[in-house]
Amino acid sequence: MISTDAKFTSPNDIAAFARQLRNKSKAIPKVVRVCIGTGCAAKDSRKLYELFQEAARKSSRDVRVETKNVGCHGFCERGPIVVIDPGEIFYQQVEEPDVAEIFRETILGGRILERLLFEDPLTGKKATKAAEIPFYNVQKRVVLSANGLIDPTQITDYLAAGGYSALAKVISSMSPEQVIEQVEESHLRGRGGGGFPTGRKWRSCREASGNGKYIICNGDEGDPGAFMDRSIMEGNPHSVIEGMIIGAYAVGAEQGYIYVRNEYPLAVRHLTGAIAQTRKRGLLGKNILGSNFSFDIRINRGGGAFVCGESSALIASLEGKPGEPRAKYVHMVESGLHGKPTVLNNVETWTNVPKIINNGGKWFADIGTEKSKGTKVFSLVGKVVNTGLVEVPMGISLRRIVEEIGGGVKDDKKFKAVQTGGPSGGCIPAEHLDARVDFDELTKLGSMMGSGGMIVMDEDTCMVQVARYFTEFLQKESCGKCTPCREGLAQMLHILTRITKGEGQADDLDKLKALAELLEGTALCALGKTAANPILSTIRYFQAEYEAHIQQRRCPAKECKGLFRYKIDEEACKACGICLKNCPVDAIVGEKKVPHKIIQEKCTLCGTCWDKCPFSAVLKV
Amino acid sequence: MAEESQLIDEIVDRYEGEVGMLIPMMQDLQAEIGYLPVDHLRYMGKKLEVPMSHLYAVATFYSSFRLAPKGAHEVTLCLGTVCYLKGAGEISQAICREFQVAPGGTTPDRMFSYNPVNCVGACALAPVMVVDGKYHGQVTMESALEILHGLSLEEQTKEATTAE
Amino acid sequence: MPTVTIDGIKVEVEKNATILEAAQKAGVWIPTLCYHEAVSRSGACRLCMVELEGGDQKQLVTSCNYPVRHDLVVSTTSEQAVKARCGVMELLLARAPESEELKELAERMGVLQTSFPTVTESQRNCILCGLCIRVCEEVIGQSAIGFAGRGVDKAVAGPFRQPAEDCIGCGACAAICPVGTIRIRLHEEEQEIEISPFKSRNKLIVCEECGAMIISAQVSEQALRKIESIFAEFPHRLRLCPQCRKKQTAKKLEESKVFHKKVTVS
Repeated sequence: MISTDAKFTSPNDIAAFARQLRNKSKAIPKVVRVCIGTGCAAKDSRKLYELFQEAARKSSRDVRVETKNVGCHGFCERGPIVVIDPGEIFYQQVEEPDVAEIFRETILGGRILERLLFEDPLTGKKATKAAEIPFYNVQKRVVLSANGLIDPTQITDYLAAGGYSALAKVISSMSPEQVIEQVEESHLRGRGGGGFPTGRKWRSCREASGNGKYIICNGDEGDPGAFMDRSIMEGNPHSVIEGMIIGAYAVGAEQGYIYVRNEYPLAVRHLTGAIAQTRKRGLLGKNILGSNFSFDIRINRGGGAFVCGESSALIASLEGKPGEPRAKYVHMVESGLHGKPTVLNNVETWTNVPKIINNGGKWFADIGTEKSKGTKVFSLVGKVVNTGLVEVPMGISLRRIVEEIGGGVKDDKKFKAVQTGGPSGGCIPAEHLDARVDFDELTKLGSMMGSGGMIVMDEDTCMVQVARYFTEFLQKESCGKCTPCREGLAQMLHILTRITKGEGQADDLDKLKALAELLEGTALCALGKTAANPILSTIRYFQAEYEAHIQQRRCPAKECKGLFRYKIDEEACKACGICLKNCPVDAIVGEKKVPHKIIQEKCTLCGTCWDKCPFSAVLKV
Repeated sequence: MAEESQLIDEIVDRYEGEVGMLIPMMQDLQAEIGYLPVDHLRYMGKKLEVPMSHLYAVATFYSSFRLAPKGAHEVTLCLGTVCYLKGAGEISQAICREFQVAPGGTTPDRMFSYNPVNCVGACALAPVMVVDGKYHGQVTMESALEILHGLSLEEQTKEATTAE
Repeated sequence: MPTVTIDGIKVEVEKNATILEAAQKAGVWIPTLCYHEAVSRSGACRLCMVELEGGDQKQLVTSCNYPVRHDLVVSTTSEQAVKARCGVMELLLARAPESEELKELAERMGVLQTSFPTVTESQRNCILCGLCIRVCEEVIGQSAIGFAGRGVDKAVAGPFRQPAEDCIGCGACAAICPVGTIRIRLHEEEQEIEISPFKSRNKLIVCEECGAMIISAQVSEQALRKIESIFAEFPHRLRLCPQCRKKQTAKKLEESKVFHKKVTVS
């Protein structure tokens, strides 16, 4: 029997303690799991958690109920999510008044509340368990498998679920060389965007001369619309830490850093707590699990700079400097943080490591495509029915992600493109929806895997605006060190802005392409080298749309103000007068029972009439 | 000075004086005070043996750092096309004149931070001024100044005249 | 020692020398802006791009900081390399259109004009190469100036964009600035040296003999601290202008016995 807060002094302690925990949890027949990921927490799920706790405490019935805070389930669209065991009953969009009823009916009475179940919008079928929902059943959850099951603030939950067994295995029976061999055999590639083979990186670092090596976890997830790493750090922080300890063992590092965005306070809190628990248990610090291997981790918070996702900029930041990238002609595995050999991997990459050790490199390599193995987590957002976090095997088609998991485009609009790879990624059009999700496949299409943002766009999205938006984002986030990125992005933004204003010039597309080529060839870091991807990919697939802006001063998606007009559909107009009253410049005329009209000369194209019309009678033409 | 040194000593100790932890240290300082005061930075620089130019470079590189205190209130004025046509430009000038504030800056008494923006997407209310998230529609030069004069350091939200 | 073949010329260089150093040895000119042998490499301006031909694929690299670790074949004249350097120069010309020094360098490269408008102007005529910052930190040891802001808003300034307090008025930044943006201004009346655009002012020492302005007082103090001299009059001589120093030397020599012998010309 190992006492509940004992320090582990041997690898065998882990399995013994996990067994002990599992036996103990059998005694608790009912468990309520409330998601407190950022998405659900924004809809007040913490309050739900408190209410369930109170209900459990006050319950006169002699039944043991455990209430758990758990990490993100991924189905943020339908939050707050509450899961009840036994039965894995999946309730969605739970509100405060529901708590008492759930407690009485489901937890005590064992009856399912139909109205809180997910209903398939197509078939009308209700799903009792998550696995029955299309959003989940197409997914393959490896990295996210414990998200939503365990309480991220309790190391015991992670241990009971088999946590740190990979570390125990490594320390008790594997040499560093064998660890690296397994990672190489898995063909795991970096999940942060670059896709560099992790095993090869580790080997180079192990072979690099010099002591004081470092292990770094990149948690500076800056892509707008991406929250994969946040959900892992918040929902399962120990999986990241375990991966890092194993990595440190493999390359021979004694100090590790986790670099987290300051905008992720919950992730910082959960990681900080997890590190403290890990130290107490003898899983971090001197002589881990009684071996002569020592390693510790510190958390460093970012200061708000997208470029710090770039590894050399992140290192500059970890050295207390502005996050400016530097040349990588000498690799970081040779000379990284403070000039020492350094391995830097992103959150999702680290999380995969314990799985690979436990199941073997071959198991991992059996998932996915020839050159992209394992699974990948994406944050599926934009104009799609189901937004949320999804984990799929590499090689699945974009169509299955968008249509089956995502449920297709919102409001019956037509699909136009899916943007992958973050701001430096690209837009993939409908004709390539059957492309497989794979590092090389996406690159071939002019986009990239990136860290896993996936933004769905519909027919109302102007692709020139999309390019402009990302170029503006990157221009604001450029560190300004090298000439092509700093000056080139400003020049490209200048050109894109004039195109969206209807002031495009005949040779603007050629100019954009030339600038794009210059950036790709001459910029210092990956941010600059790939900054033109949004422009190049939109020109590649939507050139006609650019030409309409430039030659005809027309925005086909009717998004660029001034490049389309408003018109009232006389048949749809009910002459209610709302548009007329709301027009800020009195550009609408009409009387009762007479369809209204817009005087184009007076109209400032502000769009108020379009917003206000209750009958959708105002058209964009 | 004593107060500054005490706080900085405490923060620096939290990270065992590791210069690489400069950014979290500055985050902690800002969390305490709301911005990064010059004197605190000066003391921190001395303690860590980091030159002032270096601290300033870090403070201005990362977007989360502020070098001036924010006002008690946030005032946003829309300068979108319709608002501009309806006189928002003049209102903006009047605000800057009356309260000695530059666009993007904070009044000397730190009553409010002033941000003119491109468009808040509420053209029907033009001209629009947003105070602490509350929309004030159809403001005039007089009513805008009146609303801002009515702000006080204690209260966060003030009664307001919204549209209609 | 690895061999670098640069535009067909073979040179041997020390391991970890840069391609630029190899080019200098081979007598091949590569334009540079943010490079100076007195300070660390930055690779910021991207003007010194060359094309690496060795290995499986061609690659553009900055010659100033690319270390030679094995034999390399480098082209400074390939279409890609020339296009890259000229493109970067055009962007720089758009940023700092008034710099004569920049125009001269551009002309030498064959870039006669830029096709880009001026759209960034965080600091007039500054190309943000950072040489001034590096010389101030690494050579002078003052770190009086640094970068402020990031991206297109970046500028070089004293802390808080105020006159740089730690500036000792040495003028090294002005001397190293490759585009003539940093200037030394002498204020006769106040007997002060100003480094523009950093607004820092320092008192100047005036010649004890003729009253001419010589050098910033702080630079003189630092020199006295750093230089150990067996010459007792060194501190005093630092307070003379070069002309008066010459005169005094001559006078002293005349007074000394050396010149008591009359020199007869036969």
